[in-house]
Amino acid sequence: MFLNALTRILSLPAVGLSRIPGLGPLVRACSTSVGQKIVMAITGLSLCGFLVVHLGGNLLLYAGEEKFNAYAHALHSQGALLKVAEVGLFSLFAAHLGLAVSTGAMSRMARSQSYAMKESKQGIFALPAGGASSWMGVTGVLIGIFVITHLLDLRLKMNPLVKYPAPVAAAEGMTPELNEFEVVRTVLSSPINAVVYFIGIFALGIHLTHGLRSAFHSLGLNGRRWDSLLKCGSLLFGWVIAAGFISLIFWSFAVPR
Amino acid sequence: MVRVAGETLNSKVPDGPIQEKWDRHRFNLKLVNPANKRKFSVIVVGTGLAGGAAAASLAELGYNVKAFCFQDSPRRAHSIAAQGGINAAKNYANDGDSIWRLFYDTVKGGEWRAREANVYRLAQVANSIIDQCVAQGVPFAREYGGTLANRSFGGAQVSRTFYCRGQTGQQLLLGAYQALMRQVGLGRVKMFARREMMDLIVIDGVARGIVVRNMVTGQFEVHTADAVCVCTGGYGNVYYLSTNAKGCNVTAAWRCHRRGALFANPCFTQIHPTCIPVSGDYQSKLTLMSESLRNDGRVWVPKNAKDTRKVTDIPDEDRDYYLERRYPSFGNLVPRDIASRAAKERCDAGFGVGESGLAVYLDFRDAIRRDGEDVVRKKYGNLFHMYEKITADNPYQVPMRIYPAVHYTMGGLWVDYNLMSNIPGLYVLGEANFSDHGANRLGASALMQGLSDGYFVIPYTIGDHLATAHLPKIADDHPACLAAKKDAEDRMTSLLNVNGRRSVDSFHRDLGHIMWDYCGMARNRSGLQGAIQKIRDLREEFWKNVRVPGSGNTLNQSLEMAGRVADFMEFGELLALDALEREESCGGHFREEYQEVDGEAKRNDEQYAYVAAWQFTGYGEEPVLHKEPLSFENVKPSKRSYK
Amino acid sequence: MSGDLLNLTLRIWRQAGPNAKGAFRDYQLQGVSTHMSFLEMLDVLNEKLLQAGEEPVAFDHDCREGICGMCSLMINGQAHGPDKATTTCQLHMRRFKNGDTIVIEPWRASAFPVLRDLVVDRSALDRIIQSGGFVSVNTGNAPDGNAIPIPGHVQEVAMDGAACIGCGACVASCKNASAMLFVAAKVSQLSLLPQGHPERASRVIDMVAQMDKEGFGSCTNTSECEAACPAEVSVTHIARLNREYFKAMLITEK
Repeated sequence: MFLNALTRILSLPAVGLSRIPGLGPLVRACSTSVGQKIVMAITGLSLCGFLVVHLGGNLLLYAGEEKFNAYAHALHSQGALLKVAEVGLFSLFAAHLGLAVSTGAMSRMARSQSYAMKESKQGIFALPAGGASSWMGVTGVLIGIFVITHLLDLRLKMNPLVKYPAPVAAAEGMTPELNEFEVVRTVLSSPINAVVYFIGIFALGIHLTHGLRSAFHSLGLNGRRWDSLLKCGSLLFGWVIAAGFISLIFWSFAVPR
Repeated sequence: MVRVAGETLNSKVPDGPIQEKWDRHRFNLKLVNPANKRKFSVIVVGTGLAGGAAAASLAELGYNVKAFCFQDSPRRAHSIAAQGGINAAKNYANDGDSIWRLFYDTVKGGEWRAREANVYRLAQVANSIIDQCVAQGVPFAREYGGTLANRSFGGAQVSRTFYCRGQTGQQLLLGAYQALMRQVGLGRVKMFARREMMDLIVIDGVARGIVVRNMVTGQFEVHTADAVCVCTGGYGNVYYLSTNAKGCNVTAAWRCHRRGALFANPCFTQIHPTCIPVSGDYQSKLTLMSESLRNDGRVWVPKNAKDTRKVTDIPDEDRDYYLERRYPSFGNLVPRDIASRAAKERCDAGFGVGESGLAVYLDFRDAIRRDGEDVVRKKYGNLFHMYEKITADNPYQVPMRIYPAVHYTMGGLWVDYNLMSNIPGLYVLGEANFSDHGANRLGASALMQGLSDGYFVIPYTIGDHLATAHLPKIADDHPACLAAKKDAEDRMTSLLNVNGRRSVDSFHRDLGHIMWDYCGMARNRSGLQGAIQKIRDLREEFWKNVRVPGSGNTLNQSLEMAGRVADFMEFGELLALDALEREESCGGHFREEYQEVDGEAKRNDEQYAYVAAWQFTGYGEEPVLHKEPLSFENVKPSKRSYK
Repeated sequence: MSGDLLNLTLRIWRQAGPNAKGAFRDYQLQGVSTHMSFLEMLDVLNEKLLQAGEEPVAFDHDCREGICGMCSLMINGQAHGPDKATTTCQLHMRRFKNGDTIVIEPWRASAFPVLRDLVVDRSALDRIIQSGGFVSVNTGNAPDGNAIPIPGHVQEVAMDGAACIGCGACVASCKNASAMLFVAAKVSQLSLLPQGHPERASRVIDMVAQMDKEGFGSCTNTSECEAACPAEVSVTHIARLNREYFKAMLITEK
C-alpha cells in the first residue's frame, strides 16, 4: 500500500513532464523499469563527471593557498552560469535519488514474501550480501546525509559546529573576502566533520565501484571484450575518487597553519 | 487367437506416382474459404512439436483454436528434451542426398512396416521445416561462413542432420512455442495450461470435444469444437523407467481408444542404445545421451570378461569394438534397434561393465586425440556436462558408461493419410500416431515428423473434414458431454476411494518391471503370455489396494499419476498382446523365436506386412484386430543389412 | 551400489492452496543414498509421507534431465541448490553431508504466486513472450534456410541466449525479483539474428512493458541471476536488451 502510494507520488514529475507537448512519448519510454534505469545511468554518469571536476579543483589545495583561492574566486565570479550549473546539478541529484527510490519500491513490491534463507551463488565478495550492488541503497543514504552536511558547511557556510574564519580584505579599501582555503581547512579539520566526511566519502567509493559499471550496463555499453576491463575500471574509479577526497581530510590536519 | 475384423482398413492414400501423391491430394482436398475459417473451432491437445506447430498454424489460417497442455507452460512439452537434431534432405553437404534417399533410408530404417506414401510426404516437406524454423529465429548451428551446418546420424551415410548444439528439440519447440504465443497474444488461440485431457466426446460418431481436468482447482471442464487434434506424445512411460519426462502418459490416446479409435502397432517401441545406466532402485527416470555422440564416440567392451584393469589402461587389442566388428560399413552409426540389441548381447554374454554389468563404454579418447578437447567440447559440451552431473565421472577422461533404455514409441493411434483416426474429426499428430516410422525410428526423424504433421500436413487435411462433414453446433451441456464428464469424474472419485496401502508409484514400478522384462529388447511367446497374466493381476491389485491421498478438488499430483497409471495398466496388456500376435522380428520388436543364425532380426513379410490396429471392445475384453496391408512399390523389401 | 547413506532434516514450505497460509515443516529422512537425485530424494520422502497417512509434498518437475525448466525450488537459499549450471533435477545428494538440514522453499516473487507447497504459477513468463518474444512469420512464408547467411559467431551468441529454459531461477534469485535475464535472453537472441530485425524495436518495448505489468522488479545489475541460471545465460544479454531499448527509445519509430 505504502509502496504503491510512494511510486505514485514519485511518478508525478514524469506525469508532469509528459504533459509538455512533444515530450510525452519519450517520457513514457523513460518511465518503464528499463527506461528509469537508463535515466539513472545518465544522471549517475553526469554526477561522476561532476565528481572528477570537483576533485580536480579540490586537489589544488595541495598547490597552496594562492592557487586554490584563485580557482575559488574564478568559480564564484561566474555569476548566472554558476546558478544554472547548481540548479542542473541539483536536478541530476534529485532525479537520481527519486528514480532510485522509485525502482527500489518497484523491486520491493515484486517480492511480497521474502525468503527464510537466501544465499548468493556468486563468488567471494569484499562485502557481504552480494557485493557493492547490495549496498547501493545504504551507501546512497549515507552519501545523501554527507551531501547535506557538505552543502551546509561549504555552500551555505551555516554549520553551527564550525567556527568560520572572518572575511579579510586583501588590501586596504577593498571589500573583505573569505579566504576559501582557510574555510576548507577549518571545515575539514573539525573532528565531527572529519568522521562524517570520511564515512560519506567511503560510502561514495563503494557506491561508485558498482555504480559506474552498472550505469554502463544499463546503457547497454557492455561487451564480452571489455566487461572485465569495465569491472576493474569501475573499482579503480570508485576508489581513486574516494582516496582523492579522503586524502584532503588528512591534509587538513597536516597542513601548517 | 484374436478376433480379426473382416474388412481391411482404408488408409486413403491417393493414387498416382509417389512423388505426386501429396500434390494431387492437396488439390483434391476441399478447402474452407478464408472468411468461413473463423466459424470453425479446433481443439489441440498437447503443445509439443506437433501440437504447438499445429495450434499456431491453424490459428494463422484463421481457425479458432483452443490448445491444452498438462504442464505449467506449453514450452515444457517433452519435445524439448530431444538432443541430436532434425533430418532434411537439403543436400547442403553435397554428399548425394535427395528426397528419395531420405525416403529410402526412413522406409528401410523402419524395416518396411511404415506406410510408404506417408514417409515420402515426410521426406518432401522436411526441407520446408528447416526453412520455417530458420525464419522463426531458431539458431541452428552454422559454419563460419554463415551457412547451415550438418552432422551424421544413425542409419544414414549422408550428413543431413541440422542441429542446435545438443538441444535441437528445445530450440525447435521454442520456435513453435513462440509462434503459438504470438497467436495467443493475437487472441486466435486460447491457451489452457495445467489441464489434462480425461476423455474424448464423440457425438453421432464424430469427435466433437474433450473433457479436461483443471489440475489446479480439480474442476472438470467440457470443451467442444469442430475437430480435435491429439498431439500427446508416446507411451514409453508404460515401462516406468524411460527417457520420457515423468508426466508423459498414454491417457489421452487411451481415452480416445476407449471411445473407438484404433490403436496401431503398440509393440513397436524404441529402445535407445545410449542412455546413462540405472544406478539404484530409487531411480525415477533415465537420461539419454544423444545418438549424435556416436559420430565421434566408439562403443566397446573389454575382450576379457571382468577385466579388472583401469578402463583407460586397457589397450586397443583387448577392446572389442563390437559395432565396428559386426557392422563394418555403418560402424558405430548403425540404427538404434541394432545398436541396442548388440549392447544387450554383449552384456548378456558377460562382457558388460560397471557394477551392475549392464553397461558398455562409449569412448571419446580417439576423437579427443584427433580433434582436440575443445572441438569435442564445442560439439557435445552440454551432453558431457549432463553426464558428469549425473554420474560424477568426467567423460573427457574416462569413457562414458551407457546402456539401452526405452525412448520412443513408433506405435500409436491409427490414422489415415490425412492423419485422421477412424473416428471422423479426431486427428492424431506426432509421436501419438503410428504412421511414419514403422518398426524402428531413425535418429533425428521424430522432430521432423512432429513438425511436418503440425506445420505442413494438418493445415491442409483438416479443412477437408470441416468443409465436408455435417457439424451442428454442440452445447456444453449436450447429454454426450455431460456423460463423458461424469465418467471422468467418477473415475477420479473411484481412484480416491480405493484407499488401500500401496502408492501409485510402487504399482507403476511393478508394471515397468513386467514390461521391461517381457516386452523389452527381446520378447518370446511364453514370456508375453505370462506378462499378460501378470499385468491383469497387477491391475486387479491396483484397483483394490492403491492409495491416493488428498482430495479431488485441489492440486493433487498423486491423483494425476493414479489416473495415468490406471490407463497404463490397461494399455500395457494391449502392448503385450500385440507383441505376442506379431510372430516375426522387425525393428524394435525382436522375437527370440524369429532370428537369423547370426542373431539378426528375421522378418516375415508374407504374413506380417500389415499394420495391426486394435479396436477396444470393453474393459478386460479381448480387442479386435484390424489390418491395414502394407505394400511397397518404391522401396522393395529386402534384408535390412547395415553390414 | 547405493553409495554412502545420509540422514537429513528437511525443512519444507507447506501451503495447502493459493490462498492458504503456509508454514515450514520439518521432516526427518534416513538412509538417503548419495547417488540419488534431489527430486528422487523428495520422491522417497513422499512415499514415506504417504505410508504415514500424510499428504505428499507437491513440487513441479517433468523431464528430470535439466531442459524442460519445470523444476524449481530454493534449496538452502539458492535457486536450484548449491551447484552452478545445474537444475534441481540434476542436483545429486552427493552434494550434501550426513546430518545436514536442508531448507526447501518455493520461488518467491509477487509475479509467481504459490499454488501449493513448492509449486508456483509462472504463467507471467508466457505472457511476456506473448507480448513480443517471437518472429512474426506465418507457416509457409519462409525463404530457403541458407538465403541469409548468419556468421557462426553471431549464431553462437544468439544460441547462448536461446538456451534459456524458462525456469524462473533468475527471478527467484534476484534480490529485486526482476525477470530481466529471462526477457533479455529472448530479446538478445532475436535481435542478433537477421530474422528478428524487422520487429526488434517493438519487441523490446512491448516485452519490457509486459514485464513491468506483471510486477517484476527492476534490474540493479547485481549479476546474481547469471550465477543462478542453470543454462548459464550471461548478463551481457541484459546489456544488449538495454542497448536495444535505448536505441528503440531514441531513434526508432513506435
